[in-house]
Amino acid sequence: MSVAVDRLRLLRAQAGQVTIKKIVKPTMPANVRLLLQRHAQIKHGSGVATLSSRDRDMAGDEIAPGLRYTEVFMDWLQPPPWIDTTFARWIDPVHHGRLLHFDTETTGLAGGTGTRAFMIGAADWVDGRFRLRQLTITSMAAEVAMLRVFAGWLNEDTVLVSYNGKSYDAPLLSTRYRLARLQNPLQGLGHLDLLHPVRRRWKGEWNNCKLATAERQLLGVVREDDLPGSEAPAAWLTYLRGGSAANLRRVAQHNAQDLKSLAGILLHLATMSQT
Amino acid sequence: MNALPDRYASDELVLRDPSDGRTLAQRLSKRYAARITCAFVVPGREGSFAPLPDDLPPTLTHALRSRGIDQLYSHQAEAWSATQSGAHVAIVTPTASGKSLCYTLPVITAAMTQHAKALYLFPTKALAQDQVAELLELNQAGALGVKAFTFDGDTPGDARQAIRLHGDIVVSNPDMLHQAILPHHTKWAQFFENLRYVVIDEVHTYRGVFGSHVANVIRRLKRVCAFYGVTPQFILCSATIGNPKEHAEALIEDAVTAITESGAPTGDKHVLLWNPPVVNPDLGLRASARSQTNRIARLAIKSGMKTLVFAQSRTMVEVLTKYLKDVFDSDPRKPARIRAYRGGYLPKERRAAEREMRAGTIDGIVSTSALELGVDIGSLDVVVLNGYPGSVAATWQRFGRAGRRQQSALGVLVASSDPLDQYLVRHPEFFQGAPPEHARIQPDQPLILLDHIRCAAFELPFIGDEMFGTEIAAPWLDVLGEEGVLHREGDRWEWIADSYPAIAVSLRSVADGNFVVVDRTSGRQTIIAEVDYTAAPVTLYEGAIHMIQSVPYQVERLDWEGRKAYVTRTHVDYYTDAIDYTKLKVLDCFDTSNAGCGQAHHGEVHVVRRVPGYKKIRFYSHENIGYGPVNLPDQELHTTAVWWQLAQVVLNAAFENRQQALDGFLGAAYALHIVATVAVMAEARDLQKSVGSGDGAWFVSADVTGRGQIRGTDGQPATLAPDAPFTPTVYLYDAFPGGIGQSEPLFNRREDLVAQSVSLIERCDCRGGCPGCVGPVLAADEDAATTPKALALRVLALLVAL
Repeated sequence: MSVAVDRLRLLRAQAGQVTIKKIVKPTMPANVRLLLQRHAQIKHGSGVATLSSRDRDMAGDEIAPGLRYTEVFMDWLQPPPWIDTTFARWIDPVHHGRLLHFDTETTGLAGGTGTRAFMIGAADWVDGRFRLRQLTITSMAAEVAMLRVFAGWLNEDTVLVSYNGKSYDAPLLSTRYRLARLQNPLQGLGHLDLLHPVRRRWKGEWNNCKLATAERQLLGVVREDDLPGSEAPAAWLTYLRGGSAANLRRVAQHNAQDLKSLAGILLHLATMSQT
Repeated sequence: MNALPDRYASDELVLRDPSDGRTLAQRLSKRYAARITCAFVVPGREGSFAPLPDDLPPTLTHALRSRGIDQLYSHQAEAWSATQSGAHVAIVTPTASGKSLCYTLPVITAAMTQHAKALYLFPTKALAQDQVAELLELNQAGALGVKAFTFDGDTPGDARQAIRLHGDIVVSNPDMLHQAILPHHTKWAQFFENLRYVVIDEVHTYRGVFGSHVANVIRRLKRVCAFYGVTPQFILCSATIGNPKEHAEALIEDAVTAITESGAPTGDKHVLLWNPPVVNPDLGLRASARSQTNRIARLAIKSGMKTLVFAQSRTMVEVLTKYLKDVFDSDPRKPARIRAYRGGYLPKERRAAEREMRAGTIDGIVSTSALELGVDIGSLDVVVLNGYPGSVAATWQRFGRAGRRQQSALGVLVASSDPLDQYLVRHPEFFQGAPPEHARIQPDQPLILLDHIRCAAFELPFIGDEMFGTEIAAPWLDVLGEEGVLHREGDRWEWIADSYPAIAVSLRSVADGNFVVVDRTSGRQTIIAEVDYTAAPVTLYEGAIHMIQSVPYQVERLDWEGRKAYVTRTHVDYYTDAIDYTKLKVLDCFDTSNAGCGQAHHGEVHVVRRVPGYKKIRFYSHENIGYGPVNLPDQELHTTAVWWQLAQVVLNAAFENRQQALDGFLGAAYALHIVATVAVMAEARDLQKSVGSGDGAWFVSADVTGRGQIRGTDGQPATLAPDAPFTPTVYLYDAFPGGIGQSEPLFNRREDLVAQSVSLIERCDCRGGCPGCVGPVLAADEDAATTPKALALRVLALLVAL
């Protein structure tokens, strides 16, 4: 007979009813703990070291506990008022004021409910200037605040611009909004995912259609001291566990460059479709 | 004796008019009285009916009537009122008693009236597909507008989104729930928000390690449901087991209302236990079970009765299919009357077999345990078991396949030469009187529990003093925090790793990677079958004759890494049978203690299963016409074990010879295994036993006479030099990769286990030994001066604490 049923019976007898109450077991026996640790070591290698670094500076203001905000205005490309979007098979042009370029940095690529964004970058043109805003969380608890702030940047007119965002960033954020029990602000918005038109046009011609390739080929961008995207999760985790902020700052730079390139590729595609 | 070829010998018994089980049972009993060791009848019963409930939606009532359902069986009506009262329900009735209507009615009603959703879980994809087909038919009959879909590994990506959003009934399996649905629950948000019923069919298959995993997946399901603010009602169905209500409650950790009285009418069921005749009185050799099964099946089919034969292995399915096809399908222009059914066929082929069975165009089907579950193949008249399936519950599940409403059915159990089979046919009271086995699970097994807490933490963060099942989660979360996959902030534990934990946790704990069988006959490259990883070493070695619907193919090349076997069509008069064995080596001893005159240990062991070669066996004559070598990697298992040893001097003093000591150890291992299985609530297959030398130089297996036979590391029978060291050892090991930590609790209870084994054997009513104590023994041994029972007791007595 299983332990669970034994307990169940005991409980029902005690309670004189059929509802199941939880049983509190105070601690785990030492030998079980030992067994689990042994297995964890065999399977996953040694555990986590506690970090403590003096380099903990992150740019921007703490607008909510654990949520940092940066905002930069720069002169970056002069968009025409109306962006030709026939490259994306949209018939009507879109006014550049409606565009919001966005890109997230996440804790990994595993997918599912266990992956989160720790940084959301977004860029748009405001009065002819390129505005680049970033939200970074330095604690898990700040995620909800970040999601709320980002939601405030969107309205029903917003047209999202991303690179592979339809398959990656948008579903990931939609999962996070769902888990935070918030309305998903991305739902129903127009979304220009530039990966697809780039692929249609240059697949086979280039080695691959990654953002880094597209920006090099189309915009001549060559990044220096760029932190590869694959190292972003570790950078944030290190900071979260009390380690150095150095690499996390590099993630922010990487994210900012992604957004600039996104705008550049968009304008390139729009111009191409005119000619 | 051999004047007439076997194939014609019994035609005089063929019933001229299509007839019933009773007549055939009588004829067989008369003609083969000496072979039938027991005949009994399970009386049929009248149906017990109830009107269609008034509170069914009228369109559903209409749909049922148009499908010919004007009333319900009493258990279906009971299930209706129990579900309407809000209770969790477990329905335990025999095969073909209309179980599915018990859950279809509440589920469809809720879907029609409240847009409520339901999740169905079946252990296999085939059952899921059956169920959807049935739902669609009912739906069409009444234009009910209820959408049912299967969701499994074969569901294409673009269909998945539609199923998540629009499926009223999603039919899946525990593995998909575990790996694809729960870790992506946000995509299923609408489904979960409206989830009203969770239907889990065939719950008797969820036992042991598998069942313990499934119980934890159900915990995770409930946790995700709580997030969406729903508490679905569970409807569980089970074949006959000893503890259905208890088992259902253990799985869902809640009280259930059990419905155990079937209202479906059945005819009488005649059961024959059949022992093949002695063909060599000097050696005590009996004819093969295979020849007898073939004869009975042939007679039944010739008498116009739909017949199902269960065989224990895939090879035996093919051999028996060939024999029956040779008789009934000799004219290739006519549609086939005989079909094989087993795992490893492509789904399309299995579906075709099911369809033809239901349509009644097939007269005989030969199957492995694959048909034990509820695959719908219509009604049958005769079931023949080629060998004992290993449990009373499985035997009745298989016999349950035969039976029509009005007619009597026949079930025949043909004993093989296996000692357990031989014991059973000699002691039919064991079978007749035995209650079906209990299903046991242990969801709180630490490693299984930790795996699922890991998956659960990925799905939703743990907060505060949250419980998981009956355990407070915090200490487990600390372990995961140390491992680096969780991050604790305040009272929340959040998933932080870049990994998808469910992928690393297999509910069925078998190595993955199916083998495909590629036919290269005359330049083709066609996949004709799939073989699962564990069966591959014994069926796909180079030289093997691999039969598919009794057509022989020869394996020419096996690409082990690429999981492919290349075969060509061949015409040979033999089939092949792999020789395999298991040996065990101690890697690390964690702890040792005295046990009587010997010692008990527990530690880490290395278990090796090897296939050194195969036999070629000629069809019909079954003579061994040669051997072939097999060169395959060993199947290895690192696990933990507990073991007992006695020193050579002690054994020399206690036993007249080494053979006696070995027989004693085999018997002791058998008893210890029974006691230990109960002690740690394991399934017998999750905890294994072995007897071997303490230094791994040899091991012992029972030969055909049930006697201990020493085999060397190459698996060949060996004899020990008189002066060779002799330290037989009995091992109980976790048959679970990495071990599931059963050995330590067993070691802690070592004295208790030995004492209980002694009392188990002493209290057993048998004379010389039986499956209830030291294992089945041959008739000759029952009266021997020193019985296996006495020898086992002698070994255990030496291990009893002083």
